[in-house]
Amino acid sequence: MNYFINKTLYLLIVFAIAISGVFVLVNNMPGDPAYGLAVSIAQQRNMQIEQALEIAHKMMGIDPHESIFIRYGKFVSNLLKGNFGYSAFYNTSVNEIIAKSLPWSLFVISLATFLSFTIGIFLGAFAAQKRDTIIEGIISTVSSIIQAIPPFILAVLILFVFSVRLKVLPLGGAYPVDIEPSFSLEFISKIFLHALGPMLAIAIPQMASWTLSMRGNTSQIMEEDFIRFAEARGLRDSVIAAKYVRNNAMLPLVASLAISVGYMLGGQTLVESIFNYPGIGFYFGKAIAVRDFGLLTGLFTLIVIGVILATFIADFVYALIDPRVKLK
Amino acid sequence: MKKENIANFYYDYIQPLLTNKKSLIGLMILLFYILMATIGPVVVPLDMNSNFAERYQKPSLKHPFGTDYFGVDIFQQIVHGSRSVISLTLLASFFAVLIGTVIGVARGYLEGIAGKIIDAIIMVFLVIPSFPALLILAAVFMNYDLNVVEIALLVAVWLWAPLAKQISAQVLSIKSKEFIEASKMLNMPISYILFSDIAKLLIPYIFINFVMQIKGAMEFSVGLMFLGLAKFDPTHWGVMLNYALYQAGALYTAKGFHYLFFIILNIVLLIYGGILLSQGVEEVFNPRLRGNE
Repeated sequence: MNYFINKTLYLLIVFAIAISGVFVLVNNMPGDPAYGLAVSIAQQRNMQIEQALEIAHKMMGIDPHESIFIRYGKFVSNLLKGNFGYSAFYNTSVNEIIAKSLPWSLFVISLATFLSFTIGIFLGAFAAQKRDTIIEGIISTVSSIIQAIPPFILAVLILFVFSVRLKVLPLGGAYPVDIEPSFSLEFISKIFLHALGPMLAIAIPQMASWTLSMRGNTSQIMEEDFIRFAEARGLRDSVIAAKYVRNNAMLPLVASLAISVGYMLGGQTLVESIFNYPGIGFYFGKAIAVRDFGLLTGLFTLIVIGVILATFIADFVYALIDPRVKLK
Repeated sequence: MKKENIANFYYDYIQPLLTNKKSLIGLMILLFYILMATIGPVVVPLDMNSNFAERYQKPSLKHPFGTDYFGVDIFQQIVHGSRSVISLTLLASFFAVLIGTVIGVARGYLEGIAGKIIDAIIMVFLVIPSFPALLILAAVFMNYDLNVVEIALLVAVWLWAPLAKQISAQVLSIKSKEFIEASKMLNMPISYILFSDIAKLLIPYIFINFVMQIKGAMEFSVGLMFLGLAKFDPTHWGVMLNYALYQAGALYTAKGFHYLFFIILNIVLLIYGGILLSQGVEEVFNPRLRGNE
């Protein structure tokens, strides 16, 4: 139990430093954070920019004469109340944007993770069993070539081939605009179809890296003494392969599964932007493009929370599945 | 004595890399692009003037990679862009390794509160998701005209942490070895112990990591340019990709295929070269690294 208290404290400190760092960085961004909102207000209501700026400051809860310390205090106290801030560009609270975008991100990420992990584990173990054959050569070479393709380039390729040329996948969005969201079969199938592009762009590189690490782990385990011993005991090869080799080779990968999910939350800015898929990454990219500082800080905080939770879960899972690790 | 050293260096570090198939091919790919970046712009002239009579020409002898939306030769742009792509990638990898090594060695060597503080710094940079953080940092500096060194530093800030953690672990394990104790007993200055004794053992390790950083540095810098967050060389491949997609709409016309294809091919091939080299380097040097532990 002591271990968890220490770990939690440590992660909380790391979280506080990370968030404060970003706050300072964002608040030193050139330009007034309310400027974008002020311009749109000025256009809508036909007023002078100075007046609009005043309204924008009021709407965002910013006092331009306030020092950065007071703003920081407000930011922290809001965060403690579960308020992630205000988006000037979308003219709504960041919580609302998170509420509508997080499910899409989690949907795509969990699909991609599930697919890439199961296929990667299988291919990696298979390649290691077939060591020094042409099959291993093909699996390893293809995996390393895939690793050389950054996910957003893959996204461009998928969009070009499947959406533009072959027209089998939609051009973007989470679902077609002309269908009302409902639980009908048609709507659900459309949701999957729209998620397929970003899902593949995330899953394929992931799969390659799971395959390569699983292959490496498996061939390492196969050299271990306890495998020789199991063979000497006359156990069947299939039992050794499944129970002794695969389970042990998978251990570290299962733990890093949580971490990779955590990082994926923030890592999909480019992919989601290319597919116009309205997840966290898409809004993060938008926030950068229009310099919506409130949205930027709020989403970044969420992403860091995701990573920290994932690190925590990974530790816990590892202790749970590996009897050699005791929580101190 | 000097000659012997060079010969030893060759047999220890260079020759194994040339006999390993992966690292040899990887080296050849990287060398090809380095040559393209150094000699290419001298040999191939760049004409960025739009020529609407030659828009979206298919690859031909006159235009090996075809022409883009404005009728500008794509091959010329790739060759000239390779200069900023290569220099940005190598500089970012170099800075990442430099920061990672200095902080890692310092962490491994320092004890007490100073060590704990450095530990926390490393941890923060490990936990912060690098690409979103890089985007924020780039957005902060968006209105400044950054040069290649400054952009490379922006990228490197988000790449050094894993290396620092590994190096600090290495240093901690080396530190307890007898010969370091001996140096301490002889009252050697700390700087000597740090840079002479420990650094020597870490060199193969640092080299591997430098090569491994290439993929990350390349992906980050191309992604950054692709989002249009750094005003830089218009022929940088990431910027080209941005133009192709968002300015020229090459995605939505059948005639634009070669435009996208050749940009993507070069990006992927260069990263692949880096991956092959790092795989080869690991195969060659890892047993030796394990021997050090």
